Amino acid sequence: MSPSADAAFATARVSAGALRLRVHWSDRVGNAILLVVGVALAVFLLAPMAMILAKSVEDRAGDFVGLANFEAYFRTPALLTSIWNSAWVSALVTSITLPLAFVFAYALTRSCMPFKTLLRNVALVPILAPSLLAAISFIFWFGNQGVFKPLMGDGQIYGAPGIVISMIFATFPHALMILVTALSLTDARLYEAADSLGTPAWRKFLTITVPGAKYGIISAAMVVFTYALSDFGIPKVIGGNFNMLATDIFKLVIGQQDFAKGAVVAIILLVPVAVTYTVDGYVQKRQSALLSARSVPYVPRPSRGFDAAMLGSCVLLGVLMLSVLGMAIYASFVKLWPYNFSLSLDHYRMGIVDAGIFSAYLSSLKMAFWVATLGTVFIFTTAYLLEKTRGIDGFRPLVRLMAVLPMGVPGMVLGLGYIFFFVRDGNPLHFLYGTLAILVINTVVHYYSSSHLTAVTALKQIDAEFEAVSASLKVPFWRTFFRVTVPVCLPAVLDISRYLFVNAMTTVSAVVFLYSPNTVPASVAIVNLDEAGDIGPAAAMASLIVVTSALVCGIYFAIQRWLDRRTQAWRQP
Amino acid sequence: MGEFLELAGIRKAFGEFEALKGVSLGVRRGELICFLGPSGCGKTTLLRIIAGLEVQGAGTVVMDGREISRLPPMERDYGIVFQSYALFPNLDISQNVAYGLVNRRMPRARREERVRELLALVGLPDAGAKFPGQLSGGQQQRIAIARALATSPALLLLDEPLSALDARVRVRLRGEIRALQQRLGITTILVTHDQEEALSMADRIVVMKEGAIEQIGTPSQVYLDPATPFVADFVGKTNLLPAQAVGDGRVQVGAQCFECDTGGIQGTLRVFFRPEAVQMRGVNGTTPNSADATIEKVEFLGAFSRVTFRLAGIDQPLYADLSDNDMTWFRVKPGDTLRVSLPPERLRVFGAA
Repeated sequence: MSPSADAAFATARVSAGALRLRVHWSDRVGNAILLVVGVALAVFLLAPMAMILAKSVEDRAGDFVGLANFEAYFRTPALLTSIWNSAWVSALVTSITLPLAFVFAYALTRSCMPFKTLLRNVALVPILAPSLLAAISFIFWFGNQGVFKPLMGDGQIYGAPGIVISMIFATFPHALMILVTALSLTDARLYEAADSLGTPAWRKFLTITVPGAKYGIISAAMVVFTYALSDFGIPKVIGGNFNMLATDIFKLVIGQQDFAKGAVVAIILLVPVAVTYTVDGYVQKRQSALLSARSVPYVPRPSRGFDAAMLGSCVLLGVLMLSVLGMAIYASFVKLWPYNFSLSLDHYRMGIVDAGIFSAYLSSLKMAFWVATLGTVFIFTTAYLLEKTRGIDGFRPLVRLMAVLPMGVPGMVLGLGYIFFFVRDGNPLHFLYGTLAILVINTVVHYYSSSHLTAVTALKQIDAEFEAVSASLKVPFWRTFFRVTVPVCLPAVLDISRYLFVNAMTTVSAVVFLYSPNTVPASVAIVNLDEAGDIGPAAAMASLIVVTSALVCGIYFAIQRWLDRRTQAWRQP
Repeated sequence: MGEFLELAGIRKAFGEFEALKGVSLGVRRGELICFLGPSGCGKTTLLRIIAGLEVQGAGTVVMDGREISRLPPMERDYGIVFQSYALFPNLDISQNVAYGLVNRRMPRARREERVRELLALVGLPDAGAKFPGQLSGGQQQRIAIARALATSPALLLLDEPLSALDARVRVRLRGEIRALQQRLGITTILVTHDQEEALSMADRIVVMKEGAIEQIGTPSQVYLDPATPFVADFVGKTNLLPAQAVGDGRVQVGAQCFECDTGGIQGTLRVFFRPEAVQMRGVNGTTPNSADATIEKVEFLGAFSRVTFRLAGIDQPLYADLSDNDMTWFRVKPGDTLRVSLPPERLRVFGAA
């Protein structure tokens, strides 16, 4: 061995056999909690996903059959059609939603039109509703007994047209939020530089605006595409005989009890979603590097014609969205569509309360409450332990990965994994099956990633040295956590909690596999009502959810305001 | 060895990058020692290893006779102040200062007294009820020091404590921190990349480069007698010229020949002198080491002017710092030729690179 190689070897050994600090007992506590959290995520995320993989290569008897299920699947033309349907519908939805949302976002960020806050809130309304509300509403507008049925000529809304238009409504706010962020992250100095060089408006748009928002546009496209691909409620309600992957899983598993094929479809659904989210994750990283701390925010200048045009388009879109929401609410009060248009509370009274499904609303409330409280505590604590404590460094990347993984897992796939995993005899967690607890856990996992990222962003914004200072003052980390970190991050914590509550109220896809007769969530009750032809009560239930979500958002908003006032002494202006 | 803090053979690598390449160093009780160097030289890493915030790849840390190499931060005895101050924004100043005291089950009255004492010590006796966001950067800095001192640690660590402040506040706080440190007699390690800060505050300076120590010495040693060209160049403005030793304590620089103490170095070497060493007063044709300088550029810097000049037969520009008096007296302006001297006792030589 040459002397230099020898020296290199010695250095390598030094770094490999690196010293370790003794771990203080208080840090051990943190590490222990992180271990427990990691194991919990493994059990409630990785294990169910692994079960799907396993099921997809087993036959009904549970014997290993290799790729036989996949082969059988690809030999079934009816099922193959679903892949094509899902693909083109999602692509079409993306190509329509994106330009609409871009115009709206552009108006909000780059024009001086009036009523911005109002218009923004109107545009975000679909988030408060289960996706299938749009489907129900369009049935009332354009369905066989719809108001505008005559306009449809020989065509009908059931099938692809209804799915596409409903999905546009449901995905619009998601694309809008991403694009607003992307368009806000701009440096006014670029426009000033362009102005000083005499650049025409269209050229500024093409050379500054679009490249600046590029990553946002890609990201929004991914989100809309995957939403459309994996949504279950809309095709279920308005799809008619038009099959898509998400509805296929449901039919195969619940209708035909063909678990193996269900698993195959789940994997087929998982692949494109996983790919798009990987691309999205990469894109997001690039986006954050685009803006430096010294950037100057862009402030739009009034321009009569442009502002009026922007206001016009936004009002038109806003009115369309309100007409979708409004129709569902209106229809929920109509006595007997389409014969008796007098208003009554019949659907609420008879269709929901007397029919014994008001309990569904209550169980949704209960579930959303636990998701919003326990889920928030779990997610924020985990993010804190990951970001701010030290030790068990080998384990941390795994937990980090598990925290962002759910983003790439469609609800239907996660729900199916849960059945496979928890229904199995011999699973000590089998007792969870059919309880409210499993709905709570499943929903927390389903919406984990966004919440986790919100928490991480908030944690990264506070000084990185708080824990180091505390340790030098011999104060254990949890004291600093409760006394400093949580109070400082409270706005983000509330945000996470609100997000989880609303999603728990509106989610259909994952829980549709997991409820028991005692724990039917309201959103699933809508699916069941619709299937039974009770579209009036279905509209009533959907309206209840929207109103509840809106009220809860109002409450969170009030708490936030109160908090702002109380803490303005120390929050930076 | 009577050192208060002893570092021996400290190594640290981040992946392929070797941040510290075997650093050994002793810190004396009660002194203020400064880690000085450009960014990436390992000075902050070294401080964080002393604090237990990073783990060294190899080497030992002994503090007050106790080996602390493997102790977690909570079991070490130090107070630390970061560049960001890391004051808790939602706690008022009193609560911030008392943060480490609360944990020690100190009775409330005693604690409040201690907080008052500390706030008085850092010159902000009335700040107690305010929040950090309501104080200026310099005030926040002093509160951070008060918090670090609250538990009476044996060692104070300051990580670029003045970098985030504007120039005037920085100069004032330098003096205040130094005075406080001397009054309390607390052993202090200050990390900085600002050589002026190091020169004005430190008892001793540790100049670091690429993970190794270049020189340890008092500010005047480091400034006047730098151990390496790097130190000479990093601390203050420098003229550094390639030269040949020609015997008899003489060196040949280009076409010029100077007297100086070559310290026994033979052959190729480098000659170093500070701009302020260049003399103009009382220089005539017979003054040793004198030559005709052609003035190229004059840069007015307030108390003095930095003059760029050339000597015949040397192809690199040289710098001289001349007082306002000299500038007026000799009416120095670009294009002039003036006689200057480089006094032999102010020239230093380094071996060839």
